Amino acid sequence: MIPAFALLIGVILGLVLDPTVPLWLQPYLPIAVVAALDAVFGGVRAWLDGLFDAKVFVVSFVSNVLVAALIVFLGDKLGVGGQLSTAVVVVLGIRIFGNAAAIRRHVFRA
Amino acid sequence: MSTHRATSGPPPAGMITALLEQTLDPAYAEAAQRRDTGPADHRWNARAVLAAVVVAGLILGVAYADTRAAAPSSERTRLALVADVQRETALGADLQQRLEELRAEVSLALDDALTATRDGRAQAERVSTLEYASGVLAVSGPGLRVTVSDAPPEETLDPVTGEPIDAVPEAGLVLDIDLQAVVNGLWAAGAEAIAVGGQRLSSTTSIRTAGEAILVDFRPVTSPYVVEAIGGEQLVSRFAGSDTAARYDAYRQLYGIGFDLVSADTLDLPAAADTDLRFAGPVAREQPGETK
Repeated sequence: MIPAFALLIGVILGLVLDPTVPLWLQPYLPIAVVAALDAVFGGVRAWLDGLFDAKVFVVSFVSNVLVAALIVFLGDKLGVGGQLSTAVVVVLGIRIFGNAAAIRRHVFRA
Repeated sequence: MSTHRATSGPPPAGMITALLEQTLDPAYAEAAQRRDTGPADHRWNARAVLAAVVVAGLILGVAYADTRAAAPSSERTRLALVADVQRETALGADLQQRLEELRAEVSLALDDALTATRDGRAQAERVSTLEYASGVLAVSGPGLRVTVSDAPPEETLDPVTGEPIDAVPEAGLVLDIDLQAVVNGLWAAGAEAIAVGGQRLSSTTSIRTAGEAILVDFRPVTSPYVVEAIGGEQLVSRFAGSDTAARYDAYRQLYGIGFDLVSADTLDLPAAADTDLRFAGPVAREQPGETK
């Protein structure tokens, strides 16, 4: 429950502060969102499975966001930024879906 | 669903299969296993998790705010452009209306100034005649409506694809010279004002082909072409008896083009679109001794 509040506080902070995202950071924002969602869903799923581990969660969250950003950065430099962004979104999207399905099974037993 | 898939069995063979099957990070299972076997790692406590979750929420919130700020800016630009166009269009309509009002005023002032003297009255009559003749003023009156149209399409073979299509045979197409001939025939029969496809003809109006379209005063008209002419009582009979009418009657029977004469009691012809002043000269002033 507390982590849910923490997430909510983060969202509200982001909305209220409304910081100006620097132009060079803008391409990474959508990818960072997907990576963060992946880590959060993975954490919730692990918690429901009784496998949650704080270290794994924090490390996976940070590395997810960084690696996703790095892939997009490299892709931009190589001229395939759009395609690599798509690849990241597809892979993380599949994982998010899978974890969301597992969470659903836990919550609704269906 | 097994919660220990990653540790209980061999990992799935294919990369895609692994991606689809193993949606939970295997690290969680490994960490759980380590916890079961070894001492717990307390350096990563709840505070770190909360910090990470807050950051995750922050990313979501910032991304939302950023997207919301970016999307309306393009929408704002579009709406601003639309507003600009509408404002300028309205301004153009206002100016057009003002122009018409001023023209009417000028016309009235001209009449007033001229009717003061006998010479002026003659001049005013002349000006008015010229204005009607040159198409500056809209006119209405009895006249003749000539409708010229392409022959009905026939089934033929497309020269390129060889497939059957409906097309107007080439001999049945109305060309610019046909409209020119009809218009000239009407002038010759005594027409005082003519409009083709609703466009009043002035002395400088062109009727010509551009591509497959016929342009009257640079504005396209399409088949059926309606040529309206205002003229005296004899206009209808004179045009109906003219060589032009006889020729197009023959074309109608030969090629199937439409050629239809209807006399009308009242025709309303608009003013010609653009009548720029191209030529002007000083009024020849009569010598005082020569008057009367």
